[in-house]
Amino acid sequence: MNCDDLADVFELYALGVLEAEERGEIEAHLGRGCAACTPRLRRAAALNAAILAVVPDTAPPRGLRRRVVSLVGSGRSAWGWTFASGSVAAALLIALLWFSVRDRELESQLARERANLTRVQQAFAFLNEPETKQVIFGKGEPRGNVFVNPRTGVLLIASNLPPLPVGKTYELWVIPKGGAPKPAGLFQSDREGTAIYIQSGALDLAATGAVAVTVEPDAGSAQPTTTPIIVAPVAGF
Amino acid sequence: MGAVILSLLFPLLAIALRIAGDGDLARRLKSRDQSAMGEMYDRYGRLAFSLIVRIVRNEGIAEDLVQETFLRVWNRSASFDEEKGALAPWVLAVARNRAIDYVRSLEARQTRNSMELDKLERPGVCAVVDDAFLQVDRVRLLKTAFDKLPPNQRMVLELAYFEGMSQPEMAERMKQPLGTVKTWVRTALRSLREEIGEAVPA
Repeated sequence: MNCDDLADVFELYALGVLEAEERGEIEAHLGRGCAACTPRLRRAAALNAAILAVVPDTAPPRGLRRRVVSLVGSGRSAWGWTFASGSVAAALLIALLWFSVRDRELESQLARERANLTRVQQAFAFLNEPETKQVIFGKGEPRGNVFVNPRTGVLLIASNLPPLPVGKTYELWVIPKGGAPKPAGLFQSDREGTAIYIQSGALDLAATGAVAVTVEPDAGSAQPTTTPIIVAPVAGF
Repeated sequence: MGAVILSLLFPLLAIALRIAGDGDLARRLKSRDQSAMGEMYDRYGRLAFSLIVRIVRNEGIAEDLVQETFLRVWNRSASFDEEKGALAPWVLAVARNRAIDYVRSLEARQTRNSMELDKLERPGVCAVVDDAFLQVDRVRLLKTAFDKLPPNQRMVLELAYFEGMSQPEMAERMKQPLGTVKTWVRTALRSLREEIGEAVPA
């Protein structure tokens, strides 16, 4: 094709709708720096812009300006770009995420309920053991019951537990008569400050002086580091 | 379909064609002046929105695509040569291409031209239009010329400009031989060029 034939479709070239073959030809031609064609390409781009500008007027919503400007707000440009470059894809992604988050929320809620149910079932089983003995502690807050069983260990059912600071946990202690407290497991309360906790294992009731609970760092402690919030004396068994 | 795109033309032009002073705006865009983004939107937001709505026919989607358009221009403004021309053609090209890409993604159409679209968004290619070109009387000329085209010729231009179709795609859509479509396209473009010929800077 000669210059004129090529220039006849410069508008299509500038629009990006030419087939590969013609496109290649034009690019090769322009690449050779044809003096006549450079202004023609310029005119084609101008005509394209004019045609695109000739569309029915539609007023954008008022909030759009603010959203556009905020895309490049301080420190947000990189993120804004990531967001906007795929805004449509992002909308789909958000929908997808929403569903999967909701799924995950439901799933974790289900898991929590299941764990609660398991604990309650275990507590019932523990209570149902003929050898289980009850130790009452606390008159104010917290209050609850400790159950001990020589074969199955300790069951704690407590309410009104003080809220835990971040990074802290409750730790159960079994305190032998005349001895140092022994760690008997870590547990958390639920949002209402109640807890059901079982420390499984054999327990020598005759040698046990008390069961206690302290607040400890997340990883637990080898020895209590705070004053116990619960002390349930185990006596007379 | 043909005459529709040219109706309701003039309210837009008053907004769209205030392009004097783009050089200064471009310099501020390049220096990441946030207020330049607002100013660019004030100049071309309505035009970009109108163009995108014309293509995607959904105002909600168009809002997203307008944001995408302006961010793209913002992020690429470093390569804009304010000596060479106005921002308007560039903003228009980016807006059109975002909208067409969106429609294609919906139709799962082969995006055979998507690389090309991206490449042709380079400001160096688009922004070669003299400020004086996009003036109301020039575009009025164009509207008149467009209206005079036979329906088939208007149709092929609409398919190219607003639907991003290649000539073989047009032939398929219009159930016409490729050669016929090519003739319509060339004839239509030639008519428009002739009508506004002197108005376009060389």
